[in-house]
This record gives sequence, C-alpha cells and structure tokens, in this order.
Amino acid sequence: MWAVIKKEFKSYFYTPIGYIFIGVFLIAFSISFYLSVIGYGNVNFEYIYYTLPTILVLAFIIPLLTMRSFSEERKTGTEQLLLTSPISITKIVLGKFIAALFIVLLTELCTFMYFGILCHYGMPKLATTFATLFGFLLFVMSYISFGMLTSSITENQIISGIISIGFFIITWVLPEYNSSLESYSFINMFYKYTQGQIDIGDSVTFLTFTITCILLTITVMQRRKSVK
Amino acid sequence: MIEVKNITKKYGSFTAVENISFKINEGEIIGLLGPNGAGKSTTMNMITGYIEPTEGEIIIEGYNMAQKPRKAKSQIGYMPEGVPLYSDLTVKEFVTYMAELKKVDKKIRKEKVDKIIEKTGLKDVEKKLTRNLSRGYKQRVSMAGALVGEPKILILDEPTVGLDPKQITEIRELIRELGKTHTIILSSHILSEVSQICNKVIIINEGKIVAVDTPENLEKKVSTNNNIYVTVEDSENKMDTIKEKIADIKEVKLIKENEDGTKQYILESDGDVDLRKIIFTEFAKENITIFEMKKPDATLEDAFMKLIEGGEK
Repeated sequence: MWAVIKKEFKSYFYTPIGYIFIGVFLIAFSISFYLSVIGYGNVNFEYIYYTLPTILVLAFIIPLLTMRSFSEERKTGTEQLLLTSPISITKIVLGKFIAALFIVLLTELCTFMYFGILCHYGMPKLATTFATLFGFLLFVMSYISFGMLTSSITENQIISGIISIGFFIITWVLPEYNSSLESYSFINMFYKYTQGQIDIGDSVTFLTFTITCILLTITVMQRRKSVK
Repeated sequence: MIEVKNITKKYGSFTAVENISFKINEGEIIGLLGPNGAGKSTTMNMITGYIEPTEGEIIIEGYNMAQKPRKAKSQIGYMPEGVPLYSDLTVKEFVTYMAELKKVDKKIRKEKVDKIIEKTGLKDVEKKLTRNLSRGYKQRVSMAGALVGEPKILILDEPTVGLDPKQITEIRELIRELGKTHTIILSSHILSEVSQICNKVIIINEGKIVAVDTPENLEKKVSTNNNIYVTVEDSENKMDTIKEKIADIKEVKLIKENEDGTKQYILESDGDVDLRKIIFTEFAKENITIFEMKKPDATLEDAFMKLIEGGEK
C-alpha cells in the first residue's frame, strides 16, 4: 500500500494539482486572514477556517484532488497494470485516499505560518486550533472519499469533478434553506469544531460517511472486474 | 504452468469467450491467434486477473486466480495492449513503481530495476518522462514493467503492434531470449510472427478455440492437395493433352502467359503422389522445356484462413 501512497503523493506534485490545491487554499485563507485580523482585529486562528472564501474555495479544489484518481487510470489503461499487480483493491483505494489526505495535512501545516503571525500580536488559543484542524481533516475527508467514489464510476474526470462540486454545494446550501436538514449539514458540524467542541456524534458521522464511500469505491472497483 | 478450465465470459447476452480450455507447460511460448474481436485480449485479461470469467477457473502455477489472486498475480508479468504507462513518471520511476507494486524486496530493488533497464535497452532514456518517448521505447518500458519482479509467466498482448520493422525484429529477438527462462503467451494477428517465435499456436475465432497445435502441424494439416507450379516453354502445344499422358495429373490450369513465350500452369494431383519426378521425365519426352517447377509450402496464413472460414460455416 505504501508504494501506492508514495506514487500518488508524488504525482500530485508532478502535475500542478498539488500546487494548485495548496496555493489556492492559502490564497483564500490569506484573504480571510486579512479581513478578520486586519479588518476586525480578531486573533482567532480557528475562525479563519470557517469563513466564506475558504469554504467556497474548498468546493472547487477538493474535486481537483480526487477526480483523476480512478478515471484517469481507467482512461489511459494504467488500471490494467494496477489491477493485475499482486496488490488488493482495498489497498489501492486506501492508498489513493491516504495520499490525498497527506496533501490536506500538508496544507494544514502550511496554515501554521498564520498561527505564527497571530502569536506575534496576541494569544491565539491552541486547544481550539487543534480541535479545528482535527475537524477540518474529518470534514475534508468526507468530501475526498465522496470524490473518489465519483471518480471510480466514470472514465471522464470532468464528470467526476462536476458531481463532486455539485455534491459539495448542495450539502452546503440546502440546509440553509430547509431547517429540517440543518443537523445533517457537514458545514454546521464543522462549525462546532471551530468553537472548540469535539462532538463524538459529529466525528462518528464524518467517519461513517467516509468509510461508507470508501467501501462503495472498493465495491465498484471489484464489481467492474466481473462486468467489464 | 497455466491451466485454463472451461472459461466463459459473457457481457449481458453477448458471449465474448465461450468455454475455452487449454494448458500451457513450463517454458513454452504460445501464440494466441485470431482476427480482431475474436476474444484474444479478453482471454488474456482473464488469465492476468484483470477481469473475472463468468464461468470456469484459471490456475497459475498451482494457484487459483479466484481464490488466491495475489499469489497467482505475482507469478505473471503482463504487458497490456496499447502499452499503458504513467505519463508523468520517468522511465526509472515507472519501473521502480512496478517493482514496488510487485513487492520486490527493498534491499535488492534498485539493483533489479537497473538490471532490467539495462536488459531492455532503456539506459539512455531512463530519466525521460514516459510520455515523451517514441512508440518503440514505450513498448520496451512496458516490457520492462512486465519483467520486473522476475515473474515465471509473461503475457504479452500484441507486443509488436505499431513498431517499425527493425524494432519488430528486436522485440522478437528479446521475446525469444526471454522464452528460454519464461513461459510466454503472446497474442498477435500477424501469422509469420507467431510461426517464427512460438512452439504452439492457439487459434481463436468468435470466442472459441478453433485449433491448438504446433505451427508446423497446422501448416501440414491444410496442405491436403498436392499442387505443383510449373513454368514451361511449350512450342508444340502439348500441354493441352498432357493430362492423358500422365494419369496422375487430375487437372491442368493455365495461370499466365509470360512475355518471353513461357507459360505458367498449376498441375493438380491426388493427396500423396509427388508429381515432380514424373513431370521431369515425361515433359522431357514430350519436348516440353521446364523453366521452373515448385511445390508451394502451405503457410500458416492458409491454415488460419481455412480454420476461420471452416468455423464460420
């Protein structure tokens, strides 16, 4: 599995995708940072993660991370190399998932420079910061696993990307209009982490969703063997 | 050793491969032959474990592909049709990745990868991205990917498609060399290639096995009638009546008249009789001068066409 993780992680930087993901996220983060710190004199680091620019940008860059994962392999035929090598489908799927997570972790690490700047001017709270980073990882993980699922069902990465973006926007916007959906909103769940609450229920929801998507991806890949 | 037992592959109501069985012993080079769409690639994909057969089982070196896929797959080096490669990796990175996927021990990995790059003649391009390589080199990279991890079995899907004649000879040479230490299955629709390299040929048409034999035997099988081509100078026009003089000749057909006044004929006879000796002596008596006489070899092409046509009827 390590071989897949290593190769996928490197591939993010052989193509511009890794740079775009980290770069674009940091630009949005910087805008929020400027607005909240300079504009409102706020020293809450965790608050920057829960602002319109960062969330909006996530809707477009998470699919970027996942849309190639299986579509591209299928289109170019490299899937044949991967699936005929002595490595199980579960490990292939997990390998690709973990590689994408590493990119997210790397991005979180990059945002620590803003934490450093805040430390210079005030006292940002370390505990809520970690709760936020943990929540952010769970939150993004859910969308990554969903993105990978869409990538496994189509040969066309554009279709995968559009479905993922659509899913993100729908799960974000719909609860705003219909209060009965509010408690199912991933964004609302993530909001609690930025307040320093690590809710077991929410964490379990994120994890369950992720695991379900990964299991479905494995099933799709396995099933393709017999219907292809 | 590869054992394929009664495999069938269905796509909905369409049957791509129907009830195919064969056995390939260690050290054999097998040619899988058939027209486009006959089910060659489907069969290979099933042997490599890329797709599952609807029915039947495949046993690779004693491991059942359905029950012990990892063990079975690690015995196989596969070079898929159309040589798919990771375009954003360099040649060396690609071969290393394949080695990692095939679980080559870390201590010896670098050494093994270098050795295979050397063997496939990729040393000069090892730092190039695979997408920038020419078709011939891509083919070799794919071959290197199949060879890494020292599999006992090599499965090559159309290994010489898209290459120039020089590259084709090189790849064939490489396959023949590898055949000394590996069991090889290769698919092709080029018959001369198969008869040159393989010890055994499996002919597939419309998802069914039409014939399994050595190339020589297949050629023999189709050469039932005994035709002789002769070019003669026949100034007295005796060829028209020659049939009556030599009883063994059943049919005389004029093929063409050459500019220099000679004529070419096909002389047909029954099965086992070799006409050449009799033609030589009798024609001399009749004052017919023989310029050329030959007994054409039946080729694998003939065998192939005959078997395929026979199958369709």
